[in-house]
Amino acid sequence: MRSVAFDQTSVTLTTRGQSIRLSPCVTTEAYDQILTLYRTLLVFATVAGVILAVGLVEFVYFEPPGQTSGARARIVGVFEYDPASGQLVGSDRASFTRNQAFAAKVSWLGLPGDITVDARWYDTFGNVVGRVGPSTPSKLGDNSIVPVVVPPGLHHNLPGHYTFVVERLQNGVPVEVLARRIVLVER
Amino acid sequence: MSTNTYTTPPAANPHSRLRPLRYGIAIAVAAVVVVALIASSLLNYVYLDSIPGRTSLYGLLAVALIALGTYIGVRAFTRDRASRRKHLIRAGVLLGLGTLLWLLVIDVFVFTQSAGPGVAALCALACLPTTAFGLLVVRRMDRNEKEPWRLVLVAAAWGAIVATSLVIWGETLWDQTTQRLLVPGPGLDAASAFSAGLLEELAKGTAVVLLFLVMRNDFDDVVDGIVYGAAVGLGFNFMESVAYMTNLFAVFNPEGFGWYAAGFQWYGRQVLGLFFGHATYTAFIGAGLGVARQLPKKRQKAFAIISGFLIAIAAHFSWDAWVTFFPIDSTLFGLVEIHLRTLIMTGPFTAAVIALLLFGIRYEAMGLVDQMQKEAATGSGTILPEEIPILASPWRRLKQRLAAFRRGGLPAYFKVARLQSAQLDLAMERWHRERQEIDAPLEAEEALRQRLIELRHWVPA
Repeated sequence: MRSVAFDQTSVTLTTRGQSIRLSPCVTTEAYDQILTLYRTLLVFATVAGVILAVGLVEFVYFEPPGQTSGARARIVGVFEYDPASGQLVGSDRASFTRNQAFAAKVSWLGLPGDITVDARWYDTFGNVVGRVGPSTPSKLGDNSIVPVVVPPGLHHNLPGHYTFVVERLQNGVPVEVLARRIVLVER
Repeated sequence: MSTNTYTTPPAANPHSRLRPLRYGIAIAVAAVVVVALIASSLLNYVYLDSIPGRTSLYGLLAVALIALGTYIGVRAFTRDRASRRKHLIRAGVLLGLGTLLWLLVIDVFVFTQSAGPGVAALCALACLPTTAFGLLVVRRMDRNEKEPWRLVLVAAAWGAIVATSLVIWGETLWDQTTQRLLVPGPGLDAASAFSAGLLEELAKGTAVVLLFLVMRNDFDDVVDGIVYGAAVGLGFNFMESVAYMTNLFAVFNPEGFGWYAAGFQWYGRQVLGLFFGHATYTAFIGAGLGVARQLPKKRQKAFAIISGFLIAIAAHFSWDAWVTFFPIDSTLFGLVEIHLRTLIMTGPFTAAVIALLLFGIRYEAMGLVDQMQKEAATGSGTILPEEIPILASPWRRLKQRLAAFRRGGLPAYFKVARLQSAQLDLAMERWHRERQEIDAPLEAEEALRQRLIELRHWVPA
């Protein structure tokens, strides 16, 4: 006598004295297309991971860890500035109006002579709007006043926070801030 | 049980364990958002003493009103017809008050002090039609079963008001800290880009997560996820555009080209970047949630959701961090460069979203056709075999509605539209049931059939 039993995934043949279970060599379950979407998403996520890793590498390149030389520059102050005479006017201030020219005064004394430094002004949009250097502190000795330059096409400084930094450079890349001041240009 | 009093199928399986857990997670997420908003506002006010800080504090009431109004409004549609109107009116009043208060806060504390309320209003007006166009396009992308306007608008409102409020404190704190610690330049740019990508996408993504948890019946698959995600992104883009336009107007107006600066921002954000920016980023979060909706295993669901967030953060980061590597000339060629920059930097991400969307639409259509065939085979009369090719094609559905319009005017057009919509709803319900990804009981499906049969009586042959 022979009987055949079916279930969802296999067929069982039963003859006298033996029972043989036959499993299909190819799965009968239909492939769910959602898995294609899922795998595509995982591929995109891998690319995203690479992008973020590249971002991290970029961050570490421009902001290398362990770059603390111990050197400290001294910013004497930020003053109103007379572009005609090149002289500073008045006392140290934290804010200016748009039509006031201003400049920072840096003391290069006390910095090691073998390092490369520069000093820069960044406006509120991150553009460099004034710079001295790069060079060694001894060569920059006379260039202690760093004025903000009004960008071409504009009549006055743009309002917002301006950041002044004295930086140490290594292979042409700023790696450490030796001093920093932030001032406000009012609207 | 009377089916006539329900607008959607009756309550889901009361014994389902999925629902309470889902709602519990949603309540926890909402509570975290509220606490974060309150803490952010107070910290901004106490420590930053800046205009955004005051906006954040005084805007808190507006945010609370909008959140409450939204909740009541969304839930109103799951109530019976008798009390729905009352709840909708309550929601409308709360939303109206919240919106007015928010606009007042923005006008008074932000734009009035920089550009003035008139400029702020003009900028907002300029951004309204483009954002509305974006929402219209995004909603129409769902060819088979369009999402309800109320949820699309809720998503956009969250992006515009709640998400922007959530990120103020975090981004301000991050920026102030990094500006005092890091070397200005690409490193600082990268740090700021990480902050924007992470905080803004988490804030926007929370809206999509809440929709995924609470409005499961209207969150079917990857297509719906992309629609909701893009809507949140468009809302965020609207508020960010207004803020940037008014700020740049105030900055450059004394130089004589305030309107030029504002107009340039409008073009960059509301025309060129309408679909390429925030809409694309947050669409990825929606795609991840939409795929997770239909995956069987918890581990896969988690990976899909995390992947969506990761792609959104990376896409946002790449723009913010590397846009300065593509400087724009001040010559006429600069106009070409602006377009090329957007196309090169964000184009691949938008193309990836479109690929997911197209595949999702195709996958959804296959599932719906299969279910329509099975429903037609039952002989219940809800879907007839000859209707399947029409229902499967948006264009043929439109032609059928237009034919009804020619026969019986607008009422006939809308009756056929309701019938088609209910037929697709039934197919969708069957699809989810067959895939075992629905916790509504079988009675819900029967209620849909009953409604379809009633609709069929109203529609002329």
